Amino acid sequence: MPNSTGDRSCIFEAAGLTKEYDDGQVQALRGVDVKIHEGEFVAIIGQSGSGKSTLLQLLGALDYPSAGSLLYRGTKLNGDTDLSRYRAREIGFIFQAFHLLPTFTALENVQIPMFETEPSPAARKKRASELLGLVGLEKRLDHFPSKLSGGERQRVAIARSLANGASVLLADEPTGNLDSQNAGIVLDLIVRLRQEKNITLVLVTHDPGIARQAQRVIAMKDGRIVSDVYNNPATAGGME
Amino acid sequence: MTLFTVVTRGLLRRPVRTGLTMIGIAIGIAAVVALVGISRGFETSWQSGMKTRGTDVVVSAMGSALTPKPFPAEVVGRITPLPHVAETCSLLVDLISVEAADMMIVSARQWGGFSWKNLKVVEGRLPNDEKEKAVVLGKTAAEVLKKKVGSTLQLETEELAVVGIVDGGAVVENGSVILSLSLLQELTGSQGKINIIDLRVTPGTSKEEVTALCEQIGKVVPEARAVVAGEHIRESQAYRVINAMSWGTSLLAVLVGVLGVMNTMLMAVFERTQEICVLLAIGWRRSRIIGMILWESALLGALGGLSGVILGVVGVHALVALPAIRGLLEPDLNLSLLATAVGIAMVVGVFSGLYPAWRGALLTPSRALHG
Repeated sequence: MPNSTGDRSCIFEAAGLTKEYDDGQVQALRGVDVKIHEGEFVAIIGQSGSGKSTLLQLLGALDYPSAGSLLYRGTKLNGDTDLSRYRAREIGFIFQAFHLLPTFTALENVQIPMFETEPSPAARKKRASELLGLVGLEKRLDHFPSKLSGGERQRVAIARSLANGASVLLADEPTGNLDSQNAGIVLDLIVRLRQEKNITLVLVTHDPGIARQAQRVIAMKDGRIVSDVYNNPATAGGME
Repeated sequence: MTLFTVVTRGLLRRPVRTGLTMIGIAIGIAAVVALVGISRGFETSWQSGMKTRGTDVVVSAMGSALTPKPFPAEVVGRITPLPHVAETCSLLVDLISVEAADMMIVSARQWGGFSWKNLKVVEGRLPNDEKEKAVVLGKTAAEVLKKKVGSTLQLETEELAVVGIVDGGAVVENGSVILSLSLLQELTGSQGKINIIDLRVTPGTSKEEVTALCEQIGKVVPEARAVVAGEHIRESQAYRVINAMSWGTSLLAVLVGVLGVMNTMLMAVFERTQEICVLLAIGWRRSRIIGMILWESALLGALGGLSGVILGVVGVHALVALPAIRGLLEPDLNLSLLATAVGIAMVVGVFSGLYPAWRGALLTPSRALHG
């Protein structure tokens, strides 16, 4: 990969990251500079419209920045083919609204991302089955999303995000559609899996309680980072 | 789970809409099968009729009508001396309304000519001589006209005796009213006129020699044209118009199918915008999204095509059983036509899916985070 900048533990490096919509009338991000290090659990907080979801989109290469640069492991993210490969192999997404495909069972939903990485249907099925076991849904493999509770759907989505062995999980309000009990279960699961698999977790949330569980909390307002603090200074090895 | 599973689930998501679109394509493809099959069947029927009469070359003047234009019988004298000509048989063939049948082939043949020899008498006999006011009926014609040996048949102004029922070995022959040439000439006031000369070449004549013979006949008989048996129907302007209209009507029906599939696939893309964005967000390449949509539309086309072929075949068989056209033609529903019809349906499917696929591929994955 080109443009290596040297800092090996730095997984994302954004410089002057800007995102505009409607020909510049809406500025979602205004020159964000941030580094995220391997294995970190980062919570991004802020009010609606603060730019936190936009930052998550750019980290996940779901959209292009209007200006500035974004490096992943020292490589600039550009080119459509490369980006889909990046999304398929490096990134796992967890959405607030789960976004499971309604006409596919839990087992099939988890197999969907593997079409890009695993040619064998049998191997895809085996891995999906293992992942659903990992999130405690081994008895729900053949259930369609409509037959699953909200918490179960999000657990299927978590299994799907891990399908291709992602090294980064990007979660957009992953507990936002869940009751407090299920929210706790899902958050514990994400945190546990992150620790077990040494995954970098970037989580967007409104909930200060969830943010407190993160190692690092980035607060955003009006498209800018207004604070960037480590909850436990001992873990602040990569802080700017 | 394979991509095929993904594709079929996409179609089964809206079963009623998928079913209705499939029916739309099926009707278009059934029209292709029926119209082209019938039009080709007309050609096949004439060809098989020639074959059973043992004709190698046909001399006729195919104009704008389905039957050839009449020309003087004396031209036979210019043909018989030519090399490789073994024998000839003059005919006057017409498609006319006969009693209850709206359209029937009336085939008048030179008395003693070889075209009489293939007729196998099933019941009764052949006319005793060319002057006998009698006809023989092909077995299908007898059924359609509800005639038996001993019945009479009104032809033009004359009442003729049905003296025999014959098996001619081909649909056209079996669907014909057959009589002597001089009798029909007299009945229709066409004395000295014929419109077809069936010609047999000498054994061992090569294809090239037959072609050369046709050219020679063209020179000595400028009022008609000689072609290898079976090809002469293609010379007919009427046949060409029917053929072109068959394809034209079929293609219109197919165009309706194209619009139907395109609408269905566009609706599917619009409805599944969120899903497609999620697929892009979790790493699916745009080319895979395009492939998924095109496979869905191709499968829709193929299923519609197969249903259309079945519908077309059943429809054509029901149609040719109708008394009005029974015995006139045998539909040519050969495998190549049926495969072409399914192929057209698949191409329709893929073509119709191109725009929706392009729209799908233009979606940005960031929309997955919305809603």
